[in-house]
Amino acid sequence: MILKRGASYSLLFLASFLSLFPLFWTISTSIKDRVDTYSLPPKFFSFTPTLKNYISLFSLEKFWQIYSNSIIITLGSTFICLVIGSLAAYALARKPRFRGRTPLEGLMIAIRALPAIVLLLPIYKLSSYLGLYDSKLGLILIFAGFNIPFAIWLLMSFFEQIPVEIEESARVDGASTFKLFTRIILPLAAPGLVATGIFVSLLSWNEFLIPVIMAGENSKTLPVLVASFISNRTLDWGPMAAAATVALIPIVLLTVVIQRWLVAGLSSGAVKE
Amino acid sequence: MLRRKNLRPVAQLTIPTWIFLALVVLIPFFYGVYISFLNINLASFLPPSFVGFDNYQTVLAASETWSTLRITLIITFIGLLTQIPIGILLALVLHENLRGTKIFRSILITPMLLTPVAVGLTYRFMFDTDLGVINWALGSIGIEKVNWLGSQTSALFAIIIVDSWQSIPFVMLLVLAALTAISPSLYEAARVDGASASQIFRRITLPLITPTLLVITMIKIMDFLKLFDTLFILTRGGPGNATTTLGLWTYKTGFVFLEFSRAAALGVIITIITLPVYFLWRRASRGVR
Repeated sequence: MILKRGASYSLLFLASFLSLFPLFWTISTSIKDRVDTYSLPPKFFSFTPTLKNYISLFSLEKFWQIYSNSIIITLGSTFICLVIGSLAAYALARKPRFRGRTPLEGLMIAIRALPAIVLLLPIYKLSSYLGLYDSKLGLILIFAGFNIPFAIWLLMSFFEQIPVEIEESARVDGASTFKLFTRIILPLAAPGLVATGIFVSLLSWNEFLIPVIMAGENSKTLPVLVASFISNRTLDWGPMAAAATVALIPIVLLTVVIQRWLVAGLSSGAVKE
Repeated sequence: MLRRKNLRPVAQLTIPTWIFLALVVLIPFFYGVYISFLNINLASFLPPSFVGFDNYQTVLAASETWSTLRITLIITFIGLLTQIPIGILLALVLHENLRGTKIFRSILITPMLLTPVAVGLTYRFMFDTDLGVINWALGSIGIEKVNWLGSQTSALFAIIIVDSWQSIPFVMLLVLAALTAISPSLYEAARVDGASASQIFRRITLPLITPTLLVITMIKIMDFLKLFDTLFILTRGGPGNATTTLGLWTYKTGFVFLEFSRAAALGVIITIITLPVYFLWRRASRGVR
């Protein structure tokens, strides 16, 4: 007990207020009329909500294309991360030593450690040779590559919790490795797969630097659209807040669902060998 | 024994991962090193030629390299001094397990999940000189308007505030995990001996969470080197280059000034800067758990 109970609660309430206020402010700005947005003192609750900003956002020529790009790229890269990541995570969780383990982990950590721009410069050049610049497939592959380490770290912690004895008895009953993995291991790790999937899709959904470099008009994602509002000379905060809200709401909803596993995901890779 | 050995999944399962990591890390990295010895300019149609260490010489002689490195270090230093103490404090309070702790924890980690670009946009609105809610709040307690993003010092503060808002939860979570790992019997013994709360913190808690704090410090240093999204939205490195970090400078060199090979050389330099931090991190993380 460092602080008195009252002081602890005041601190928690203050910190909660500071954590949530920007979120509240974005959402409330997104449903305000221009006049209310620019009024001083700021209007916190006493305004008539309007959907104007959303209507002007949704009527942007490319909005729905960009929105579906974001969803396709997020789902595609998450799927790859889960399939490929679960294979590797299973090997890493069950087999402590094999040739190539150390360099593999080295590469995984390099992604966590290096600023992405260092790798994205050459990737940009390489993908224009391969015709993968401004393509959804290219973005899916690159997103997957950058997120696989996080998927592996998280999945490993779930595979490690499955007792080896279960596998042994299945093996005695004559199950092949493939059957063992698909029929026994994966179902047992299902909550882990869901949690990892949601966590990895969050990373993809939020990603900005990769698409800002790799996406042109065809494969632009939501964060790039949100960012593009800022380069307009006339800053129109209403539609901007609507765009930010459209990006933020799925996250808030998802994180309520995976609250339980979130903590493991958020610190993954930080303290594991 | 034999059966047990057969049971172990094979290392071949990691091959697909190897392929992906080769495509996004290994090959790009070596290709980047190769590019840094050429003279590629994205605006030029001349075939690139080999120029040896020219790019490194140019880059190391440029004042921007050093001024952006200095800005990166300033942000890192003040950022660490802000985020680690607040993170520890919040973790300690959560660790008291008061009623409602779970809900508070969920609320407090929300900022780190949100799209950085959208967060940057929100803060840019909140930092607005005339219409921003921050200046309004300061004004109501008698503080004059600050042109937050207009001058170097205040813009750096704004950037650190936004990064702290998103990063303190990470510090808090790792410290909380370390606190949970401390055996309660240690505290009981200390209390029986009549130790005060601050003594317990300094003599028991702090030494036991130090390995975790080192890990956090190393990770945060790497993250400050990576800082991009919120910075890009808030100031785009401006006014001028006053808030441009080394990472953002690399981006500008490559994609704004189109000096691609010079940017690649900067990338190699950033990698070299990252290396010692990386090794310290791996060492420190062995002390955790």
